[in-house]
Amino acid sequence: MGFIQHHLLNIICYLPLAGALLIIFGIRKENTKAIKAVATVVAGLDFLASIPLWFLYRPDGPEFQFVVRGEWIPKVGVQYYFGVDGFAVLLILLTTLLTFISIYSSFTAITHREKEYYVFLLLLSTGMMGVFMSLDFVLFYVFWEVMLVPMYFLIGVWGGPRKLYAAIKFFLYTLVGSVLMLVGILALYFYNSTGLEAIGLPGLGNAATFEIPKLYEIAPHIPPELQFWIFLAFFVGFAIKVPMWPFHTWLPDAHVEAPTAGSVILAGVLLKMGTYGFVRFSLPLLPDATMKAVAWVGPLAIIAIIYGALVAMAQKDMKKLVAYSSVSHMGFVMLGMFALNAPGLRGAILQMINHGVSTGALFLLVGIVYERRHNRLIAEYGGIAKVMPLYAMFFMVMTMSSIGLPTLNGFIGEFTILIGAFNHSWVWALFAATGIVLGAAYMLWMYQRVFFGELTNEKNKDLKDLNRREQWTLIPLIILAFWIGLYPKPFFRIMEPTVTRVLERVGAAAPDRPETPAALRAVSEHHEEPAAEPAEASSETE
Amino acid sequence: MTLEQFVPFVPEIALAVAALAVLLAGIPMGRKAPRALALLSVAAMAVSAILVVLYATPSAGPEVILGGMLSVDGFGVFFKLLFLLAGAITLLMGVGYVVRAGYGYGEFASLVLFATVGMMVMASGANLASLYVGLELMALSVYILVGYFKLEVKSNEGAVKYFVLGALSSAILLYGISLVYGGLGTLELGAIRDALAAGSPSGRVVGLGIVLVSFGMLFKVAAVPFHVWTPDAYEGAPTPITAFISVAPKAAAFAMFLRLFLGAFRPAIGQWHGVLWVAAAATMIYGNLAALTQDNVKRMLAYSSIAHAGYALLGIVAANAMGAWSLLLYMLIYTFMNLGAFGFVALLESRGYAGELVTDYAGLAKRAPAAAAGMLILMLALAGIPPTGGFMGKLYVFSAAVQAGYVWLVVIAVIMSAVSLYYYFRIVVQMYLHDGDGSELAALVRDRWLEIGIAACVVVVLILGVWPAPALGWAQAGLAALGF
Amino acid sequence: MISTTSYLVLSAVLFTIGLIGVMVRRNFITVLMSLELLFNAVNLNLIAFSDRLGDLGGQVFAVFVITIAAAEAAIGLGLIIALVRLKQTVSLDQANEMRS
Repeated sequence: MGFIQHHLLNIICYLPLAGALLIIFGIRKENTKAIKAVATVVAGLDFLASIPLWFLYRPDGPEFQFVVRGEWIPKVGVQYYFGVDGFAVLLILLTTLLTFISIYSSFTAITHREKEYYVFLLLLSTGMMGVFMSLDFVLFYVFWEVMLVPMYFLIGVWGGPRKLYAAIKFFLYTLVGSVLMLVGILALYFYNSTGLEAIGLPGLGNAATFEIPKLYEIAPHIPPELQFWIFLAFFVGFAIKVPMWPFHTWLPDAHVEAPTAGSVILAGVLLKMGTYGFVRFSLPLLPDATMKAVAWVGPLAIIAIIYGALVAMAQKDMKKLVAYSSVSHMGFVMLGMFALNAPGLRGAILQMINHGVSTGALFLLVGIVYERRHNRLIAEYGGIAKVMPLYAMFFMVMTMSSIGLPTLNGFIGEFTILIGAFNHSWVWALFAATGIVLGAAYMLWMYQRVFFGELTNEKNKDLKDLNRREQWTLIPLIILAFWIGLYPKPFFRIMEPTVTRVLERVGAAAPDRPETPAALRAVSEHHEEPAAEPAEASSETE
Repeated sequence: MTLEQFVPFVPEIALAVAALAVLLAGIPMGRKAPRALALLSVAAMAVSAILVVLYATPSAGPEVILGGMLSVDGFGVFFKLLFLLAGAITLLMGVGYVVRAGYGYGEFASLVLFATVGMMVMASGANLASLYVGLELMALSVYILVGYFKLEVKSNEGAVKYFVLGALSSAILLYGISLVYGGLGTLELGAIRDALAAGSPSGRVVGLGIVLVSFGMLFKVAAVPFHVWTPDAYEGAPTPITAFISVAPKAAAFAMFLRLFLGAFRPAIGQWHGVLWVAAAATMIYGNLAALTQDNVKRMLAYSSIAHAGYALLGIVAANAMGAWSLLLYMLIYTFMNLGAFGFVALLESRGYAGELVTDYAGLAKRAPAAAAGMLILMLALAGIPPTGGFMGKLYVFSAAVQAGYVWLVVIAVIMSAVSLYYYFRIVVQMYLHDGDGSELAALVRDRWLEIGIAACVVVVLILGVWPAPALGWAQAGLAALGF
Repeated sequence: MISTTSYLVLSAVLFTIGLIGVMVRRNFITVLMSLELLFNAVNLNLIAFSDRLGDLGGQVFAVFVITIAAAEAAIGLGLIIALVRLKQTVSLDQANEMRS
C-alpha cells in the first residue's frame, strides 16, 4: 500500500515512456509484430495500473492523493510534484483507456513507419498523463508542451493529404496559446514572491513557488486588475485547446487530417486539457476574474454550441462532421462550467468524460469504414446497414450517446449541464437546449444518409462487417456509455470533492440541489425537449 | 605588483603559449597529422580549464589583480570554462571539415586558441582597456577564421563584411569608452560604478559615451539594427567556424555586456535601458521574421541566432539579479544548442561550398534515424520546447523580464518564439515528413569526431532541460562579481 | 595652449569623416583608411582627456589602440589580397555572392 501510494503515479506516467524507449532501442523497425505487441501490452498494463486510482482514491480524504513530491529546481522553487484529485483520476482513466484503444485500433490502419508511430503514441501518453498529474506549474507546463511534439508527428506523418498544413497549424495555434499562458504563470509566481518591480506590484513576499495548492491560498489576495490579465493569459492558452469559438479553426483541419488514433486521442483527451485547465487553474486561482468573465465566456460558449452544430449539419465529410460536433459539445462543457454552480460544474466534468467516450468511439467508427473504402464522404455511402449490420448497431449506440438519449451517458451529462445553466439564467438553458436539438438533427441525419435507404454504390456492396479486433476496440466504450447512462453515481461521487472545492474557491457555490440520478430523472420528466427527441430518434431506427 | 598576482592569469598565459606552440607545430603537422594537433590543442584547453578551476577562489569573493586590469571571480570562471568547452568542441568538429577541404589545420587550431584567450580576458576584465584588448584579440582571430577558406569566394566575402563592420563597431565602442573616460576620469569598472553612483558632474558626455558603448556591444552580439554582417559572415564562414562564432564570441560579448552594463553602468540605467529594450524587441521580431523566408540552412540559423541574441538581451534589460543569472544560464544552453545545430549542417555534405539548403534534409529520418532524432532535439531546443535546455533557458530569461515588469516585452518574446517554431520545423518537416524520393540527396559525411561532438551537444541539451539545477548553481556563483 | 575642447571637436570631425568614409566609399582600401581615421580620432580623444585629467591611463590605452589598429590593418590588407586574387577587384560592391 505504501509503495503504491508513493509510486503509482510515477508508474502510470512513465510506463509508456519506458515502453517507447524499449521499442526505440530494443526492436528493429522491420519487426512490426513485436512493436505492436510491446505497444499494446504496455498500454494495457498502463490502463490496469491506473485502475487502482479509481478504488483507492478516497473522496473524504485530502484534496490531492497519491502524492509524489521532491525538489526539482530548488533555487527557483520548482518542485517535482504529482498528485491527483477525483477529477484528475477520471481523466487519467479516460486517457489510459483511450491510449490502449487507439494503439489496439491502429494495427491495420497504419502500414508504414510503424515503429515511429507507436513510439510517438506512447510518448504522447506520458505527456498527457503528466498534464493531469502535475501540481507544480512548471512541471505542468513542461508536460503540456511536450505532448504537442508527438501529436504533431502523428498528424504530420500518418495524416491525410493536407497533413503538413494541419500539423503545423495545430502546433502553432496551441503553442501561441501556451506561451501566453506561461507569461500568466510567471506573473502569478512573482506576485506571490518578489513582485513585479517596474509596474509597481509589490508582491506578497512569500517563498518563491510554483506549487499549485500553495497558489490556491494566495488567490484571495490577488488584486482584480492583475487577476484579469492573468485570466486572459490563461484563457488564450486553454480556450485554444478546448477549442472555444473563435479559436477553433485548427480543430477541423487537425481532425480531418489526423489518422484515426490521432483523432481519438485529440478529441478524447487533448481537448479535455483545455477544460481541465479552466477547472484546475483559472477558476480557483482567479475567482474575481472568473466571476466577471462569466458575462463573456458564457456567450462565447453558446456561440460555440450553436455554430458548431450548424456547421456540422452542413458537412459532407463524416469526420469533419464529428469534428464540428466536438466544438459544439465542448461548448456545453464550458457553459456548464461557467454557470459556476454545482450541477453545472458536475455536468461539465462528466460531459468531458462523455465526450471522450462518444466522440472517441465515433472517430473509431468513421475510421473503420475509411480503412475499407478510403473515403469519408457521406454521399458515398447509403444503405450500408444491410452489409454491415453490426457496424450499424455500434454506430447507432454511439450516435445516441452523442445526442443524449436517456440510458446513455450523454443524457446525464447534458442534462446536468442544462440544470446548471438554468440555475444561472434561463436564456443560457434555452440556447443550450437548442444546441441539443440541433445536435440530434445533424447526427441522426448523417446516420440516416449513411446507413438507411438503398445500397446504391457498387463499391459498398461487399464491405466487410466489423472483425473481432474492431469490435473489441469499441466494446469498452459502449460499456462505459451505458454504465454512465444507467448508474452515474460513482462518477459524481469521485468528482464531488473537486466540485465542492472549486466552487468554494470561486465563492459562488449556488444553492445546491439534490443530485442523485433519481432526482435527475425526476427533473427530466418536467423537461420536454431532450426526452422528446430521443424518442423520435428511436422511432426512426425502426 | 608582485609576481604572485600573475597566478590567476596563468590559464590565459598557458593557453596563449599553447597557441604559439600549435602554430609552430602546425608547420610540419598541419596537413600530415591534423588529428594529433587537434588532440594537442584540446589537451591545452583541458589544462587551462583545470588551472581555471584550481585558481578559482569562490569563497574569497571578487578580487582585482594586475593593477586593476583583471577580476578573479565566479563570473569569470563560469564563462572561461564555457569558452574552453566551446573551443574544444569546435576544434574536434573542425578537423575533418578542414582536412577534407584541403586546408592546413595548424593555423586553424592556433587561431581558435587565440580567440579563446581573448574571450577569457573579456570575461574577466576589470578595466575598459583590458576588456578592449581581449575583445580585439578575439575579433582579429575570428576575422581570419571566417575567411580561412581563402579560395572560396563566399568565405572571403563573409570575412570582408565581418571585418569592415566589426572594425567599425570597435571604433564606435572605443569612441564611447573615450567619452566615458573623459567624463569620469577612470577606466576601471569599479571606479566607474562608484562615480556613476555618486552622480557624475559631466553627465551628458558620459551618457553619450555609454550609449555609444551600447551600440558597439549590440554590434558584437549581432542585435538589430547592427546585425547586417551576421547572415553573410555566418553563411560564408567554414561551418565549424560558423558554429564557433555563433556561440563563443557571442557569449563573450554578452559576458562583457554584463560586466559593463550590469556591473559598471548600472547606476546610470536611465541612460541606456531605453536603447536596449528597443533593440531587444527589434532583434526578436526582425530575427525571427527574417529567418522565416531563408532556404539556406546556415543563413536561417544565422537569423535564428540574431533572434536568440534578442531573447538574451532581455536579461540585461531586466537589470536585476535574476536577469544576470538567467543570461549566464542562457549562454550555457545556447552554446550547446547552436554548436550542435551547426555541427549537423557540417555533417551533411552539400553541393558546393556553403550551399546547404533546407531541402537537403529530405527524408533524413529514413536514411539516418539517429542523426534526424538528434537534429529534432536541437531544433526543439532552439524553439524552446521542453524537455530540452532551450526551454529552461527561455523560462529564466522571460522570468527575469517579467519580474522587472517588462511584461509586454515578454509577450513579444513568447509570441516570436512560437513563430520561430515554424522555421525550425521546416527542417523537421523535411527530415520526417518528406521521403526525399526522386531528388538528388545530400549524403552524410563520415566523420567520427564530428558525430561525437554533436552527440555531446545533444546529450547536454537534454540534461540541461531535465535537470537544470546544478547549472543554475554554477551560474549563480557568477552574480557576486556584478554586485548582486 | 590649445583647449581640450578643440581637441575633442577635431576628434569628432575626424570620426565623422571616417564614419562617412566607411559607409559611402566602396573601395576596400579607402574603407581601410577611413577605419584608421576612426581609430585615430579615438586616440586623440584619449590623449586629450588624459592630458586634462592628469591620468596616464588614457595614454596607455592609446598605445594599445595603435598596436591593435596596426594588427587590424594587417588583417584588412590580407583580406584585400585574397579578394583581389579571387575577383581581381578591390570594390566592396563586387562582394555580392550572398543574398538574403
